[in-house]
Amino acid sequence: MQAITRYPDDRSPADHSDRDPAAGPAIRTVGLTKSYRHPWTGRVVPGVENLNLEVERGEVMGCLGPNGAGKTTTLKLLTGLLKPTRGSAWLLGEPITGVESRRRLGFLPEQPYFYEYLSGIEYLEFVGQLSGLQAQDAHERARRWMGRVGLGQRPHLVLRKYSKGMLQRLGLGAALVHDPELLILDEPMSGLDPFGRRDVRDLILEQRGRGTTVLFSSHILPDVETLCDRVAIVMAGRLTRMATVGDIVSGSRQRVEIRCAGVPLLEIPPGLGEVLKRQDHSHETVFMLHDDTRLNEAIDWLLRRGARIRAVAPQRTSLEDLFLDAARPKDGPKVEAQSDDRRSA
Amino acid sequence: MTVPLIARNTFREATRDRVLAGVVIAGGVVILGTQLLHTLALGEGRRLTTDLGLTTISLFGLLIVLLVGTSLVAKEIERRTIFNLLVRPISRPAYLVGKWLGLSGALWVVAGSLGLVLWGVLALQGHGAMGPAVLEGAYLAGLELTVITALAVLFSALSTPVLSALYTLGFYAVGQWSWDLREFARQAPGALKSTLEVVANLVPNLPVFNMRALAASGEPTTVYHLVLATLYALVYCGCVLALASAAFESRDFK
Repeated sequence: MQAITRYPDDRSPADHSDRDPAAGPAIRTVGLTKSYRHPWTGRVVPGVENLNLEVERGEVMGCLGPNGAGKTTTLKLLTGLLKPTRGSAWLLGEPITGVESRRRLGFLPEQPYFYEYLSGIEYLEFVGQLSGLQAQDAHERARRWMGRVGLGQRPHLVLRKYSKGMLQRLGLGAALVHDPELLILDEPMSGLDPFGRRDVRDLILEQRGRGTTVLFSSHILPDVETLCDRVAIVMAGRLTRMATVGDIVSGSRQRVEIRCAGVPLLEIPPGLGEVLKRQDHSHETVFMLHDDTRLNEAIDWLLRRGARIRAVAPQRTSLEDLFLDAARPKDGPKVEAQSDDRRSA
Repeated sequence: MTVPLIARNTFREATRDRVLAGVVIAGGVVILGTQLLHTLALGEGRRLTTDLGLTTISLFGLLIVLLVGTSLVAKEIERRTIFNLLVRPISRPAYLVGKWLGLSGALWVVAGSLGLVLWGVLALQGHGAMGPAVLEGAYLAGLELTVITALAVLFSALSTPVLSALYTLGFYAVGQWSWDLREFARQAPGALKSTLEVVANLVPNLPVFNMRALAASGEPTTVYHLVLATLYALVYCGCVLALASAAFESRDFK
C-alpha cells in the first residue's frame, strides 16, 4: 500500500497557525440537544442532551464513547446533517444553521459513500469546487491530494472499483482538498489496516502542526491518546468528562503489577482483596495492585507467604481504563458540572 | 455557483447510467420501427410516424423519470452520498434545484436526440418539411418531462423510490386528464365539484404540452402557445421545487 506523502516545501497549503487566537473558539455549543420522536408511539428518545462544548482553535479533540453514545449525532449536528431540537452551536464563529459555517469545514463521515460513476480525481475536483475552489485550482489540488492520500497512481479509476480502505483515504482527501480550518472526522481509522491507520495519524498530526482544529471520534483509544490535546467522553447522549489526556491519566491512581513465581495456592487476605487481583499463568502468577499506596503492604504479605517476586512494575493507567471507568453509571451526575466548568473557563 | 455544479454532476450521473442509454436506444428503435408501419398506413404514414414518434419521446422520457428521477434524492439519502454535498457550503434548496436541473438537462438531450431521429425518419419518407412541427413537438415534450421531473424530485425528497415512482406516475396520469377533470368538476355537485377543482389545479396541466395531433398534420403551433407553455412549466416547477425545499429543509440525515 502506498503511504501518504508529505507536502514538498514549495507546495505547502495554507498555514492556519498564524490565525488570531482571540477570534473565538473553533467550535462552541450551548445546550445543544437532539431528540427523536417515534412516529407511531410518540415516545421521545434522546440523542444528545444539553451539550456545552468549546474546542479552541488549533486544538485536537477526541470524542470517545461506546456505540450509540451520541458521538456521531453530535458531529452530524455540527455539520448540519441533523437539525437540533434545542440549543445553538457555532463553527468558526458562524452559526451552524447557515451554510457559511461549512465553508471552512472538512468532514469525513463514518463509512463514507461516494458516487460510484466518478473517478477519484473527478470526485475531489467536484467537492473542491463545491467548497468554493475555482475549477483550475480544484483540479490542481485534486491531483495533489490524490497523491497525498496514496491514490495518485490511478487517478482515473472509477470509485466502484475502490476497496474500502481506498474509499476511506479518498474521504480524507475530500475532507482536506480545500485546506479547511476545521476538520471533523467520524471514526477516521475505521476500515483501515495498520499502515492506513498510521498514515491517518500522521495526517492529523500534520494538520495540527498547521494550526487546523480537529475534532474526531474514535474507538481506537491508543490513537486518541497519541493525537489529542483534550478528550471528551460522551455517554448516553451526555458529555460525562472532558479534560486533557495528561490530566485524566495523572489524576488517576497508579496500578502496580507484581509478577511472582511459586504461589499457586496463595489466598489473598480480605484486607487486600479489594485492591489486589490475581491472574494465574502457566509459569507465573501476576498480582495487579490497584492502589500504589498499599504496595509495601502487598509485598510484605507476599514475602511472608514465601512468594518469589520476579518483578514489580508500575502500570500507567491507560485511557481505555479511564474510558471504561467513565462508562459506569456513577459518573452520570458529573456531566453538567464538568461541561459548565469548561464553558466558563 | 453551486447549483450548476450539482446540475452538472447529476447530468453526468444520468448520462453514465446504462438505463438512460438503453431507453434512448429503445426509443430510437421504436421510431425507426414506424417505417414498417408506414407501408400499412394507407396514405397516413406521415401522420402515423409523427404521432407515434412524439408519443415515444414522451413515454420513454417518462420511463427515464420513473427509473432515474424518482430515486434521484431518495437514493442519495439511502446511500448517504448526500452527506458529501450537504456538509459543504450548499443550501438544501440549491441541492434540489441542482438535481432537478441536471436530470432535466439529460431529458432535454433525450428529447432532442429522439426528435432528430424522428425528423430523419420523416425526411427519409420524403417529409423533411415536417421538421419545424416535429422539433416544436419535441420541445413541448421536453417541457412536459421537466415538469414531471420536478414532481419526481419533490416525491423523491420525501419518500422512498417506489412510493415516489407511484406518486409521480399518478400525477402524470391525472395530469394528462386535467382538462377533462376540470370539465367534469363544472358539472359535479357541491363538495365533489370543489374537490375536483382543487385536484385539477394541483396536478400539472399536461395537455398544454401536447401538440401531437397538430404536428401529425404538419402544422406548427403558434409562438404564443410555446411561450405560454414555457411560462407555465417554469411557474409550476418553481412552485413544486419551493414546496420540496420547504419540506427538505427540516429533514434529518441519520
